[in-house]
Amino acid sequence: MRHKSISIVLLFFSIKSFCQLSVNLESNSQYYIDDNKIKLSENEADQRFRSNNYLNVNYKLKNFTVGAQLESYEPKALLNYSPALTKTNLGTYFVNYNNEKAGIDITLGHFYEQFGSGLALRVWEDKQLGISNSLLGGKIKYTDPDQIVTLKALLGKQRFGFNLSDGVVGGLDAEMRLDSLMKVKDFRSSIGFSYVNKYEDNKENSLYPKNVNIYSSRLKMEYSKFALEFEYLYKTKDNIKQVSTLDPNNIFSGNAYLLNLSYATDRFGIIASLRRLENFNFYSQRDQIGNIYHNSVLNYVPALTKQYDYSLANIYVYQAQPRLAFLPQKKSGEIGSQFDIFYKIKKGTPLGGKYGTDLSLNISNWYGLKGTYRAYINNIRDYKTDFLALGEKYYSDQSLDIRTRLKDNWKIALVLINQFYNTYRTEETSGEVKAQTVVLDNIYRFSKSSVKLELQHQWAEGYHGNWAAGLLEYNFNKNWSFFINDLYNYGNPDKEKQMHYYTGGLVFRKNSTRIQASYGRQRGGLLCVGGVCRFVPESAGFSLGISTSY
Amino acid sequence: MKSRILINISHRNYGFILILTIKLYICHQKIKNTMLKMILSGFLIFCLGLCLAQEVPNVSITTLNGEKLNVSKIDSSTPVVMSFWATWCLPCMEELTTINEKYEDWQKESKFTIYAVSTDDSRTTSKVKTVVKSKGWPYTILLDPNQTLKRALNINSIPHVILVHKGKIVYSHVGYSAGDEDELIKKIKECNSIH
Repeated sequence: MRHKSISIVLLFFSIKSFCQLSVNLESNSQYYIDDNKIKLSENEADQRFRSNNYLNVNYKLKNFTVGAQLESYEPKALLNYSPALTKTNLGTYFVNYNNEKAGIDITLGHFYEQFGSGLALRVWEDKQLGISNSLLGGKIKYTDPDQIVTLKALLGKQRFGFNLSDGVVGGLDAEMRLDSLMKVKDFRSSIGFSYVNKYEDNKENSLYPKNVNIYSSRLKMEYSKFALEFEYLYKTKDNIKQVSTLDPNNIFSGNAYLLNLSYATDRFGIIASLRRLENFNFYSQRDQIGNIYHNSVLNYVPALTKQYDYSLANIYVYQAQPRLAFLPQKKSGEIGSQFDIFYKIKKGTPLGGKYGTDLSLNISNWYGLKGTYRAYINNIRDYKTDFLALGEKYYSDQSLDIRTRLKDNWKIALVLINQFYNTYRTEETSGEVKAQTVVLDNIYRFSKSSVKLELQHQWAEGYHGNWAAGLLEYNFNKNWSFFINDLYNYGNPDKEKQMHYYTGGLVFRKNSTRIQASYGRQRGGLLCVGGVCRFVPESAGFSLGISTSY
Repeated sequence: MKSRILINISHRNYGFILILTIKLYICHQKIKNTMLKMILSGFLIFCLGLCLAQEVPNVSITTLNGEKLNVSKIDSSTPVVMSFWATWCLPCMEELTTINEKYEDWQKESKFTIYAVSTDDSRTTSKVKTVVKSKGWPYTILLDPNQTLKRALNINSIPHVILVHKGKIVYSHVGYSAGDEDELIKKIKECNSIH
């Protein structure tokens, strides 16, 4: 094995001398320890050292690109990654031919793709979330020379750990730009249509649909400072789950509406996003519906709320609720809105100060669908929803972000957040939380080094109670920095849980290499990237992250 | 052992000899530890990477106006900066805002163009235009919502800046802390002086 890997590396080297090779390595390791408060659960304690490693190699020769990703989860994957990710194996591989002149782009092997906003189809990778949902098969993309029409066709099976999901996925997408046909000044418009099909055997129950299709249409318009995007999608009858097993007697169709409106001018912008989802999750293998590891997910349903960069603002994170379920709870989707307003106060004005001030306001409100649910004899179920009525409130937040410079070398930000989180509905446990958070963020620059100091406090009724947090980051020079971070849950109603989650670490950065070593405690909860979350349990220990590419 | 490798890295041209040395070394040492192996191969590849500059991949993404752009066709006879960012990424916003503040001064001293590649996915991609306008950024904005370009360039995390000159990636930098922009302009000037 060792000799083999060295030889491969040598081979890379010789190839690289002649052509275009790019290599990327990412490694995240953790050694879990037990301290006086946090212990590794018994069924996990057999392996205290765990490591996720990815080696990605791409090789380009003229119009061809060949690539592969080797993945290693040895001796075991980090806590709460999908159990499908074990040992070392080839994760993805592909050959791509891209001829710009002819407008043809063909991929064989594993590929990633997105149709429209991704509600119909999005296969992508996120190592932090353990998502690697590429399709294995073929994809062809054609763009005409005037770039008016783009057509995509694909067929494949979805990656599931190092294996494949049961379903076969096919998809077509067409997008057409209308501006050249209309020739109106400052006006741009395009329309698009997608069709995605999943075929899966139904030997276990003939009621289960063999084919599940999503049809979607979308429209984009931009005129001067205004923009509009609309997408409508329909999903044919699909399985649902009751608690954790497939409902043997009922299948339902689903639909989704998405509307974005925006206005942007110098120093001011406003965006409204409205979305309604009804039974709109989509999986390439029916028994994976609703699984917590994002296995076999075919579409992308992010929460349309603000993504915060501050730790306390990420305790109560909303996740989109597209599922239809009768058990354990009756719910069928979500409806809601998000508004963003950006405003830059000019420099030299009383409010803008010497350097100008950036303001951003975000307001989001998400509700369940209002409807009635019925169960008949033999567990035949049905439900009815009102189209634009708001049901029970699931989540809301308002946040104001103020950023300015106090001095030439001192930047400051004040963030105020007010959140409402319906724990009963979103986590299917009980209760609700109202939380207010204040963040004061400072960046101070010296001649060679810089300091970041972040102070946070959260007042919360229910669940975890009050928190205080602080982060200090010192960048010695352009390569080295260290940080200490502490989250203190001093207001937890359970005295045992009133504890510090502290972390300290060292970071080295040079060119595209980043190495981070840290020691501390990780708060349990949702780890979210781009509105998709993964649950991570509380843990303590050493961690080492290496990421490098060329 | 690490120090031994590090010493050798400074002699870039001896990369090949270095690998042979390490190979022999490993054969003698019979290392069983997986992690050490990983680290070693990591270092090996790291050394290799230093040997040659990477080219821009043959990938097309769209501009804010919906036009396709093949990034390998971007004219880089003068330095081209590509900054990978997202509206939700605070250090990215920090970096692009800081560069914006210095942009006029920089333009007076050196020739270069900046592309800000938004990796916002559909959750936030509709915000890109509004954010850019309200911030008054002068950059050309490219949209990479499903990470096609980011993946082709093997970029793991953002913020990530690359500097392209004459078709080659001559500098790249991951992360942002205050002051990193000085390094960037220094590299831009170096390119211009070769030119």
